[in-house]
Amino acid sequence: MSQIKVTIDGQTLNAEEGQTILQVARENQIHIPSLCFDNRVSQNTSCFVCIVQDAESGQWMPSCSSQVQDGMKINSSTPEVEDMRKTALDLILSEHSGDCEAPCTLACPAHAKVEEYVRAGREGNHFEALKIIKERIPFPMSIGRVCPRFCEQDCRRNVKDQPVAINDFKRLAADLYYDEYLEDMEDLTGEKAAIIGAGPAGLGAAYFLRRAGIASDVYEKRAEPGGMLRYGIPEYRLPKDILEKELAHFEKMGGITINCNQELGQDIELEELKNNYDAVIMAVGCWQPSSMRTEGEELAWGGIDYLEKLASQNFEMEDPGETIVVGGGNTAMDCVRSSLRLTEEQVHCYYRRTAKQMPAEEYEYQEALEEGANFEFLTQPISLRKEGDKLVLKCIRMELGEPDASGRRRPIPVDDSEFEVKADTVIAAIGQKTIAPEGVPTNDWGDVEVKEDNCRVEDNLFAAGDCVSGPATIVEAVAGARRVANGVQAYLKDDTYKPPYLINVSRGHWQSVSEDELVYLQEPDESERVEQRHIDLDKRKQTFEEVSLTFTKDEVELEGKRCFECSCTAREDCQLKEHSEELGADPEAFSGEKIDHGYNVEHPEIVMDRGKCIKCGICIKICNEVVNEYLLGFKNRGYNTKIDTAFGQPLPVDCEECGECLEACPVGALDWKVKKNEEILKKLAEEK
Amino acid sequence: MINRIKIGMASCGVAAGAREVKDKIAEVAPEEKIVEVGCIGHCYAEPIVEIETDEGSIFYQDVEPDEEFINRMLELEDFSRFTPNPEREKWEKKFVTELSGKIDPVSLEEYRSRGGYQGLEKALEMEPGEVVEEVKTSYLRGRGGGGFPAGMKWSFLAAKEEEDKVIICNADEGDPGAFMDRTVMESIPHQMLEGMLIAAYATGANRLFIYCRAEYPLAVRNLNTAISQIEEAGLNKIGGEDIKITVKEGAGAFVCGEETALIHSLEGKRGTPRYRPPYPTDKGYKGRPSMINNVETFANVPLIIRLGGEEYAEIGTENSTGTKLFALAGDLEYSGLVEVPMGISIGDVIYGIGGAEEGSIKAVQIGGPSGGCIPEEYFDTPIDYDSLNELGAIMGSGGLIAISKGRCMVETARYFLDFTAKESCGKCTFCRIGTKRMLETLERVTGGEGTAEDVELLSELGPKIIKGSLCGLGQTAPNPVLTTLKYFKNEYLEHVEEKHCPALECDNLVEIEIDQETCIECGQCIKNCPVNVISDDFVIDNQDCTRCNSCIEVCPVDAIARVRKGGKVNVAN
Repeated sequence: MSQIKVTIDGQTLNAEEGQTILQVARENQIHIPSLCFDNRVSQNTSCFVCIVQDAESGQWMPSCSSQVQDGMKINSSTPEVEDMRKTALDLILSEHSGDCEAPCTLACPAHAKVEEYVRAGREGNHFEALKIIKERIPFPMSIGRVCPRFCEQDCRRNVKDQPVAINDFKRLAADLYYDEYLEDMEDLTGEKAAIIGAGPAGLGAAYFLRRAGIASDVYEKRAEPGGMLRYGIPEYRLPKDILEKELAHFEKMGGITINCNQELGQDIELEELKNNYDAVIMAVGCWQPSSMRTEGEELAWGGIDYLEKLASQNFEMEDPGETIVVGGGNTAMDCVRSSLRLTEEQVHCYYRRTAKQMPAEEYEYQEALEEGANFEFLTQPISLRKEGDKLVLKCIRMELGEPDASGRRRPIPVDDSEFEVKADTVIAAIGQKTIAPEGVPTNDWGDVEVKEDNCRVEDNLFAAGDCVSGPATIVEAVAGARRVANGVQAYLKDDTYKPPYLINVSRGHWQSVSEDELVYLQEPDESERVEQRHIDLDKRKQTFEEVSLTFTKDEVELEGKRCFECSCTAREDCQLKEHSEELGADPEAFSGEKIDHGYNVEHPEIVMDRGKCIKCGICIKICNEVVNEYLLGFKNRGYNTKIDTAFGQPLPVDCEECGECLEACPVGALDWKVKKNEEILKKLAEEK
Repeated sequence: MINRIKIGMASCGVAAGAREVKDKIAEVAPEEKIVEVGCIGHCYAEPIVEIETDEGSIFYQDVEPDEEFINRMLELEDFSRFTPNPEREKWEKKFVTELSGKIDPVSLEEYRSRGGYQGLEKALEMEPGEVVEEVKTSYLRGRGGGGFPAGMKWSFLAAKEEEDKVIICNADEGDPGAFMDRTVMESIPHQMLEGMLIAAYATGANRLFIYCRAEYPLAVRNLNTAISQIEEAGLNKIGGEDIKITVKEGAGAFVCGEETALIHSLEGKRGTPRYRPPYPTDKGYKGRPSMINNVETFANVPLIIRLGGEEYAEIGTENSTGTKLFALAGDLEYSGLVEVPMGISIGDVIYGIGGAEEGSIKAVQIGGPSGGCIPEEYFDTPIDYDSLNELGAIMGSGGLIAISKGRCMVETARYFLDFTAKESCGKCTFCRIGTKRMLETLERVTGGEGTAEDVELLSELGPKIIKGSLCGLGQTAPNPVLTTLKYFKNEYLEHVEEKHCPALECDNLVEIEIDQETCIECGQCIKNCPVNVISDDFVIDNQDCTRCNSCIEVCPVDAIARVRKGGKVNVAN
């Protein structure tokens, strides 16, 4: 073989005649992506992701098949070349049918690896489940109790019956192992952040910073830490000894100091903090009750004020008497159900739309009904006045009109339908607002304005949680906490945090797919969702004891067997995903038909999911040329081309002794059925 | 006095009923000598019968298998006589196909009596290198479409020192509407085989294949008959060795016309192309040096050797010598097979030979689904390899489709892309998925759901498919779309911006309307409507109408027409 010279991206390289451009590039550590190349088999040339351009003739060539010639000059990283590669990937993605991630994981605002901790829980590895959960959820005991379960809303199992009871996996895992678990943490670097607000966002940020080796001082204006976890969520939903356990864990982690009774503007000053700390994170939450905009509203409690007072008095409060709660959100439900526990009198909830449109969780509404609440829908208060000992609330009946900006039908008053009711206590739980500290830039809604990617306000000031998003959930607050911690880390390295570009291919939301379109690695269990067990109703009405009970290990195992395991077996080593993310390819770039070529799971160990196949034919060549078998081949032509076994027969059982084609498949079209959590944990560790 | 009766029995004749005609003549006049011949190129007039008399031949067209018709014909009555369009006579040059339709295709004797195998004999007297030189001098270029100089290809194979060398005739004619090669194989198989034998002698090849599509059963039969005659006559004994000639039938994949895919198919593998180099002349059938030429290319060879390269090169133009066969189709008066000298203008072919009404054609599609459309303003362009390439079209194998002003160019592009997208072998990303996405986009445009972004997508994705495809199929598939976009962009824009098909061809953008003024209420339309959407008072329910045009075709007073959908409303505005 004679030596020749080739230039790739301006780099002149020695090569041997007969080598391909790709071989020469790889020998010289020049990265050319490819999906269909395997040096064990003959020329393949299918994906065209490895395409390069001859700098002189302008000719385009697949680098995996084009042999080098002396003096050849190759462009492999010009914008034109990258655009061609991206287009190739865009096209492949437009044909690719499957789910990269499971819908539950995508739905979780914190992107906890749901499918993985459900699998660990099902297998009885609750400690491992906790480890997976805690990668993204700093308060698994609390969130395991109060999360509105975004994951379950998108769970594919909804196609069949009820979603998997996902959140209960978190609760059990945390209840079992919280004391003994301690996460991996970087050594402290000496850098330190000040965090204003010891609620879920503030503490969450402290958690993620500590894991990265950054210490923090958390300043809290109230007497005790926890924010909404302590003062916003009543004891019967989240017992405060649970919160104490979570707080104790923070202490155990070290490097996080919580200072209470420290109010911004009085005890501490923003400018001072900015000067004294490497970074400052504002996480002051949303504590200002929204106005009812009615005459006499000052006679009513603000919902959050009512809950705060209750919590600060350790859930012992004077009898509120007959109570009317105005509003239909979760705070309203908390006020209704707390009041029910404090009085023998009637507790009413007035909401201006219908039950169906209430923003509160369905189970909260149901449990409030069970506990004896009276709901009046399509009712709007118009004024409040005092008559003797009683409050008189004047209301008007409503009816539903055209949909408004939120897509819900707008309630409009019914003429001459005013009426008056008497009550001892009126609570206006219609929303909360941010009270942004003076001098901090805010947006149109009065929330703190931050840059989307890195949560930075200005200078070394960052913000997260409800004070940025407006009133939201705990899980959204911890998601924000992770984002702000990433932003701070990047800032301390003199960098700007850019969230990684991630793609996801989906078979579609469960509402848009039918049961027979789903691919199961193994048939999921037919059983119905385990029913949530509660304490006795009498106790619920009388005390603030926690209402719901933690699932048993058996119940969690049963629920785990109901999981469809939607995600792709190959998502941790999928080359299509890897190169697509590297080159910015987009599954939505081209729209068009995706052909369901069906799947074959008859083999005990191997799944053949043809919808994911990119038709590169590497499996065929590996089987022929490496293994010397002829089990796979192409069928059809054009867009209908597919790879299949002869007559669509399952692969022979002894294929599991070889598995060469599975290892060579660049995607998850041919793969082992068993998904392994170790790989996920390894990947999560790398991400950090 | 009738000497013999010739019946055109190529596929075009058979399809028009020539077999029934032949049987009837045999029944009516069992004493007459009937000869089956090939095609004379006037397919529109089939079945054609030639009656040879001492005074010369008399041609009858549209012959019916009817006793009275046949008797009158045998009386040489002056009716249904076939007279070729005089304009065509002016432009056509019967050269390669001179014998086509004149001789019995499977009579070696007849072929030899007309100069057949003289080329081979002459070649065998020359040195092999001289033969190659002669072909080089003739500057014969590949008739399959690429236009690579044949002599050069021959010299590559001749230079190979391997003992086993292969010559393959590419007879996998796959373009829709193209039948040049079929006609040659059916009508003058010996001429093509003679060319192959000359090539074998010139290059030292010892194995010959003809890769012919199985949809050409008559061609396969005639070739096989001719091959046995050759073997019987010992014409395949070259350099003391019997050269084996095999006809291999293809299974119908268009992509097998691509040479590397063809070789894979010949080897018994799936017909998918591979990256070149190595070229087949280096590594072809079973790894042996292999040379692939098209049917028409080989059919030229005996004439080159007989005339000499220099004389041959005087036909046609400097860079495109000789003649070219074209399958004329589309909106023409006379469709069929025609042979013209290279360099004739497009206009002369469609107006002169095709007999289209002057000014009625807005474009021609040359080169089949891989070619491009050429608009009216370029109709004076000479038909040669280089001029066509400059316009974004290709010579191709010889399909030439005339598109009248009443046709939609977007629909035309969609039609061709639909063909290539389905015929992609599925190997390369850009070809398999890219053509499908373009096709879906075109379907949106013709379906009235297209947007300006869709038109943009077509012009962006098309060139990428060309760059990112391995073989000629993908590299040319976007051509019909890109050339119609280049020359008829306004039609695309009208579809997406105005939701209007100017040619009123796209069903989703038109309605069928009965003009109540003109209508005579005969009820023909109601009777012929397959979906019963015409009411008793002659109003069409366009919601359920399938736009099949049956009513328009049967209306005796032309009261029914396709109109722009919602057009009246827009006009009023």
